[in-house]
Amino acid sequence: MTKFNLRALLALSAAGLLCGVSARADDVPSNDVRIGLYSVFYHASADDLAGPYVPAGVNLKADNVETLYVGYIRRLTSHFDAELAMGYPPLTKTEGKGPATLGSVPYNGQVIATARWFSPTVLLEYRFLPESSAWQPFIGVGVNYTNFYDRDSTAAGNAASGGPTKLTLPSSVGPAGTVGLSYKFNERWAVHASYGIARVNTKLTADTDGLIRTTGIRFGPQSLIVSAGYSF
Amino acid sequence: MFKFIGLGCVVLGAALLGACGGQSSTTGTAAASTAHGTLAESPPFRIASLSAAAFGAELSANATSAGLLQITGAPICGVDFYYLKFWTQGGAAVPEVTESSGALMVPTGAAPACSGARPIVLFAHGTQTDKTANMADITNPSNTEGVLVAAMFAAQGYIVVAPNYAGYDISTLGYHPFLNAVQQSGEMIDALAAARTALPGTFASATTDSGQLFITGYSQGGYVAIATLRAMQAAGLPVTAAAGLSGPYALEAFGDGLVFGAVDIGATVFAPLLTTSYQKAYGNIYTATTDVYSTTYAAGIDTLLPSSTPIDTIFATGLLPEQVVFDSTTPTVTIPGNALLSAELTAALAVPSSTTNPFTPLFDAGFGMPYLLNNSFRLAYALDAAQNPDGAVPTPTAGVPLAAVAPTQTFRLALYKNDLRTAWAPKVPTLLCGGDQDPTVFYSVNTGTMQAFWAGVPTVAVLDVNATPAGPFASAQAGFQQYQAEQLAYYESAAGGSLTPLQAEEQLVANYHANVAPFCAVAARGFFSQF
Repeated sequence: MTKFNLRALLALSAAGLLCGVSARADDVPSNDVRIGLYSVFYHASADDLAGPYVPAGVNLKADNVETLYVGYIRRLTSHFDAELAMGYPPLTKTEGKGPATLGSVPYNGQVIATARWFSPTVLLEYRFLPESSAWQPFIGVGVNYTNFYDRDSTAAGNAASGGPTKLTLPSSVGPAGTVGLSYKFNERWAVHASYGIARVNTKLTADTDGLIRTTGIRFGPQSLIVSAGYSF
Repeated sequence: MFKFIGLGCVVLGAALLGACGGQSSTTGTAAASTAHGTLAESPPFRIASLSAAAFGAELSANATSAGLLQITGAPICGVDFYYLKFWTQGGAAVPEVTESSGALMVPTGAAPACSGARPIVLFAHGTQTDKTANMADITNPSNTEGVLVAAMFAAQGYIVVAPNYAGYDISTLGYHPFLNAVQQSGEMIDALAAARTALPGTFASATTDSGQLFITGYSQGGYVAIATLRAMQAAGLPVTAAAGLSGPYALEAFGDGLVFGAVDIGATVFAPLLTTSYQKAYGNIYTATTDVYSTTYAAGIDTLLPSSTPIDTIFATGLLPEQVVFDSTTPTVTIPGNALLSAELTAALAVPSSTTNPFTPLFDAGFGMPYLLNNSFRLAYALDAAQNPDGAVPTPTAGVPLAAVAPTQTFRLALYKNDLRTAWAPKVPTLLCGGDQDPTVFYSVNTGTMQAFWAGVPTVAVLDVNATPAGPFASAQAGFQQYQAEQLAYYESAAGGSLTPLQAEEQLVANYHANVAPFCAVAARGFFSQF
């Protein structure tokens, strides 16, 4: 669910290194950076699009995406961590859902809009077992912030909308949760797998020549992350 | 919960902000200029896009449009329906700047007639009481005239431009310059200019303007079409051909007929639209609305139409009478020293009683209580008509000219100024079409008068769809007459309400004007196809 662009990714690496320099000395490493695969599954539900010249039953759905996962984890205590989870912002595609055609313009299944998501999640995680254990099941709760940018109505979207269309999607802030399992090979290296869920709700406003159509969208993203981590 | 705060985190934050600043897609562009004829939104919004097959299927889906389909023929082309917004001028002496809207219908599809260089039909619609009416909104079932022109012209390969008129839809003018020749022809020309600007930027840019221009319109729009032809001809703008369909061209003669008792169907709607339009244009029709209207209806009538309230509700709530124009207690005229004229006018203003005139029952329905127009207004108009008679009524004179001397009664003078019998004749082929029993826009006083006015003008052809079928438009005539017979039988059938023969006849009269429309339109299409 969390996305990040290349510039942000490079900045994150720098951030991690710099933060690492300033970390306190301890027997147990306090910092952990992770990189891996982020698979996001949307369980989107939207209200039917409302506005002028919109037939009944015109709706939307979002395509699932996979992207690069990057996380920074800070050890807080022997059982608690804080995680900043992000991903390279993929191009999320929104498809038309509803009538096969609007008039004679194809709609159902057409990619009508794309957007990139900047969507960091901050989590407080609890590890169940002592730090000496190789296996580390954990759960976490936190907050997701999602900002939608590079919003584009595609040619198919413009055709369905009736002309060049400007899309507005306000940012979303919502709760997030995760469960996962880590396996430590040694003091430095580990692998992690987790399942996450967040609430990402927004209101889409489409402006075509001043004619406004709107819908509430609940993306309901769920994610699977598989990553490798290095502690220092 | 995060303990690390340092330079790296600041860098990170800056990078994230950078990521948020991506470009978004944009909508159409609003014009910076409000000069008349400017396209206000580019590209125009497409309300719908229908393939030929989809449009044909939609037309087949209900009985009324299926009947229309038989007249128009099956669509050859798909049609894109664009919502054209443009700047134009109002009807005041110092014209207001106002945004107006309309339809740009563009043929699409693979058939040869549906793309490439195609002719434009500039269409003027008939009188609308619904302020929200939008010719481009093909999704609205009540947009029957939009469907008619789409099926008749656009689906057969003509690009259609049809303004909604100032005062309707998005226009904030506050009134409609009804039958104001200068404003309405100007708006038609503005809509055409905006449509020509818009066309290359539409989804249907494969369809282009061939340069051929046909002007037509029905009822009020028939008048507007011929007024537009006159204006374009005067301005040296090219027109290929024109067709006025059931239009009130000879406004002074038509008005004189009304005042002398020939009350047409729709007069209670036309009268306030016309009075308000001319009051805005000339400022001298009345000082107070009670100068023209009865006290029953005078309050608020200057802003009553067009309205977003359905006309039936306006009638039902007593804001406007459905039929009664004049007081059934007609005036007794006393002109000092002229007993003969006094007697003639008194008789002429009495409730019509001729048993030989088929319109008499209709005319009688125009008299009653409460009534719309007061007797003092009627009498002043009648006196002016008696002193400066129109050449077409009551007895046509050679050339059926306007009154020899300009009227002095201000409303009649306004009709005189907007009457199309001015010193001109069409230089391009022009068809005038109507039905001779039309109870809404009388045929003889309008189409018949123009036919006489332009007698000997070789570019002018006249078609009465109710005449014995003959000549190049015999199929339109036969089609209309067959349709009328079928309608009459339908009204008497169980499905049509089991009306008595008299009731069925009355129903047919009520619908006559609307029934003529598709047959005159198909005649116009046939006329245009020759060029």
